Amino acid sequence: MKLRFDRGTILLTDPPQDLNLTEAPGLLWDPRVHAHRAPASRYTALKRWLLEGGVRFQDVTPPLRPIAEAWSDVDLRPYQEAALSAWELGHHRGVIALPTGSGKTRLALAAMHRTQLSALCLVPTRVLLDQWLREIRVVYGGAVGCYGDGMRQLAPLTVATFESAYRHMDQFGDRFGLLIVDEVHHFGGGLRDEALEMTVADARLGLTATPPRDAGAAACLAELVGPTVFELAVADLAGGFLASLDAITLYLDLTPEERSAYTSLAAVFNGVYTDFCRMAPEASWADFTRHSTRTAEGRRALSAWRQMRRLLFFTHAKRRALESLLGRHRNSRVLIFTADNETAYAIAREHLVMPLTCDIGRQERDDVLERFRRGDIRTLVSARVLNEGLDVPDADVAVIVGGALGEREHVQRVGRLLRPSEGKRAVVYELVTRNTIEVGQARRRRQGLVTRRSAQL
Amino acid sequence: MLPDDLLSCSVAGALVVPHFLGEHDHPWLRALLEEHERFIGRPQRELEARLREPLPCESPPKKLRLAIQVLGRLRPSHRKTAVPPRRARALVFGEAARWPALPQTILSVVAASLGVTPEDLRDSLFGDLPSERLVGAPLQPLSAVELALRCNLALVQALLFRATIVRIEVEGNTRALVRQAKWRGLICSGIERSGTADATLELSGPFALFRNTRLYGRALGELVPPLTWCPRFRLRAECVFHGRRLTLQLRTGDPIFPASAPRRYDSHLEERFAREFRRLAPAWDVLLEPEPITAGGTLIFPDFALQHRSDLGRRWLLEIVGFWTPDYVARKLALYRSARLSNLILCIDEGRNCAEADLPAGALVVRFRRRVDAAGVLRMVETTHCPR
Repeated sequence: MKLRFDRGTILLTDPPQDLNLTEAPGLLWDPRVHAHRAPASRYTALKRWLLEGGVRFQDVTPPLRPIAEAWSDVDLRPYQEAALSAWELGHHRGVIALPTGSGKTRLALAAMHRTQLSALCLVPTRVLLDQWLREIRVVYGGAVGCYGDGMRQLAPLTVATFESAYRHMDQFGDRFGLLIVDEVHHFGGGLRDEALEMTVADARLGLTATPPRDAGAAACLAELVGPTVFELAVADLAGGFLASLDAITLYLDLTPEERSAYTSLAAVFNGVYTDFCRMAPEASWADFTRHSTRTAEGRRALSAWRQMRRLLFFTHAKRRALESLLGRHRNSRVLIFTADNETAYAIAREHLVMPLTCDIGRQERDDVLERFRRGDIRTLVSARVLNEGLDVPDADVAVIVGGALGEREHVQRVGRLLRPSEGKRAVVYELVTRNTIEVGQARRRRQGLVTRRSAQL
Repeated sequence: MLPDDLLSCSVAGALVVPHFLGEHDHPWLRALLEEHERFIGRPQRELEARLREPLPCESPPKKLRLAIQVLGRLRPSHRKTAVPPRRARALVFGEAARWPALPQTILSVVAASLGVTPEDLRDSLFGDLPSERLVGAPLQPLSAVELALRCNLALVQALLFRATIVRIEVEGNTRALVRQAKWRGLICSGIERSGTADATLELSGPFALFRNTRLYGRALGELVPPLTWCPRFRLRAECVFHGRRLTLQLRTGDPIFPASAPRRYDSHLEERFAREFRRLAPAWDVLLEPEPITAGGTLIFPDFALQHRSDLGRRWLLEIVGFWTPDYVARKLALYRSARLSNLILCIDEGRNCAEADLPAGALVVRFRRRVDAAGVLRMVETTHCPR
């Protein structure tokens, strides 16, 4: 009998006639190829089942291991040590949730070092791809592979973007024993989950600052990577392992013209939305948008909603407040966060500050970040690019002009300021427009900074 | 791939029915193309803002968004700035960080150092961003008819993106279709010849046994352009929409934009052989893509059939075993052995090291180096009795 990796699955061929495979985990008869097949992610369970049954078989080709001598020691802080122990106790499967700036990458390096397994690290963006490659090379002297940003090199330690993993996991899913997923909250929603199902890696570590609160996504993630085994929030580490933080909310008004436009749009939207809520009290926002696209009235309501939000992205008062804050923190390193790229460019034009958006090329982006580190540039404005993972060590002021993605986005943005340094006290300004939808949005997103769930072992 | 909200289709029982763009859509498509034309040379953001507003004639909202998306992919754009934008940003934002001054002052100082006007410098700052790039004319004139067909192709591919398994009855061009499917890692199974069709193909990704995947859904969608070159086809796809299983049906004549014409030959080796054989043997026809042969539960596609013009009983199938991997050659020969063909000619590259025992019994064998000897093959077919 033979086990073979076949495009994201495990093929089992030539089983002994007396072997009953109906109980084998994940295995189904594939009439297309006249053999049994299981998703690659069930490989370890299948192998264990076969071994426990005393069945002899030819195994899939074992992955190459990294060179043990090429590793340097990876020191951990006490909470990182505790997180890693929790993961080890969870049979090398699970999600670790730590605030941005608390050293999740270091934790992953320690996991690779301790397990000595070949590892595939998945990251969401090309910027993070570079960052992970750099970090690994600091502690590992052997070859490091890279899949993404035009590169296709495999090595026992490889870093790949989510997009590359999604496209190529069916080809290299049998080459790794440890799967590390940075910003793992991107999975569990179904869209790219198949990449995690197409690898045989049994040890799995998910890293995030914001584990999914939605029960469905959390359950799916627990199946794909493992449950959350350790979690700390910003409030647990601020002032100690993270910089101290002052969060200041500035409540601003609309001009009479803006208020009038906002009120008209709100009337159009509220009329339809209130009716919908009365008709379907349990329905979600997604249900509402789906329902609304079916009627002209619904489409008008959705259009009004989008216009309301756009109106709030960069109001007259926000303009003035931002000008004042930039003047006040002229000598600090400031990050400005906006709800969309359009606002980021508007701010860049008005205040001559560098925008960092998805439209800015990789080389220029690296160059800009380097100049920001050196202090040649003191302010950056961004809608999304600075949200996640990017290492911006010395920023100490953030101005949140607008947000589009809620609690998770807010936690990640605040995390940009939390890397500690001697005597550092970071400040986050939130610009919130009074008597608008922004008030509720701001209240909800702040929850993420203090919410903490205990480790689940 | 198109997002869900651009899928212009409806559900009828267990079928998902694409709402193809047709003649009735041409007036508003023409209006859309005219709007685009008007904005050539202006920033993309201006065109985008215009297209957020209604067209001068009535247009179905979902189809309009689909057409805008498809047109956007076909629309080239370019930039034209006084200062390279990256350089402009480096200088202006660096200068702004150095000393507190009004933006206009900083722009004037930097512009003077570059020998351009502050306005030119301001325009250069973001001249390379997608929204600031200038709308260009399409590389080839685009008609409303073509745009409609391209929209339909995008729509069908997006629907197939959600497919688990596709069954195609096909006549002609089968080989190109199977080649494309295998190249994308799909499994071709349940292959048989049926009725008037050359073949019925069942195509799915390895993971289809467990659930639909986007990876193989995309591969299934990519079968559509080569499919449109088949003289006749009928496709049924099992798709999953929001957890519901629905069937998509397509057939010959559906208004879908065709791919560029498939290559006639797989290699120069084949092309050269066909050319030389035609020249040397006017009494013989060289037929490309002859009927597939059922063997070992699958179909094999000989490269050529050599057909005598006046004696239809003299028909040889010819396969060139050229630059293939040893595994592939072994599998191919095994299939030919199981097919037990009595009118097969195998042209084998000497570099393949095929042992006599591996070759199908009864096959005529021509060994070659670099080029297949067309004269040798002609001698063989002229002097060997062809079993009927």
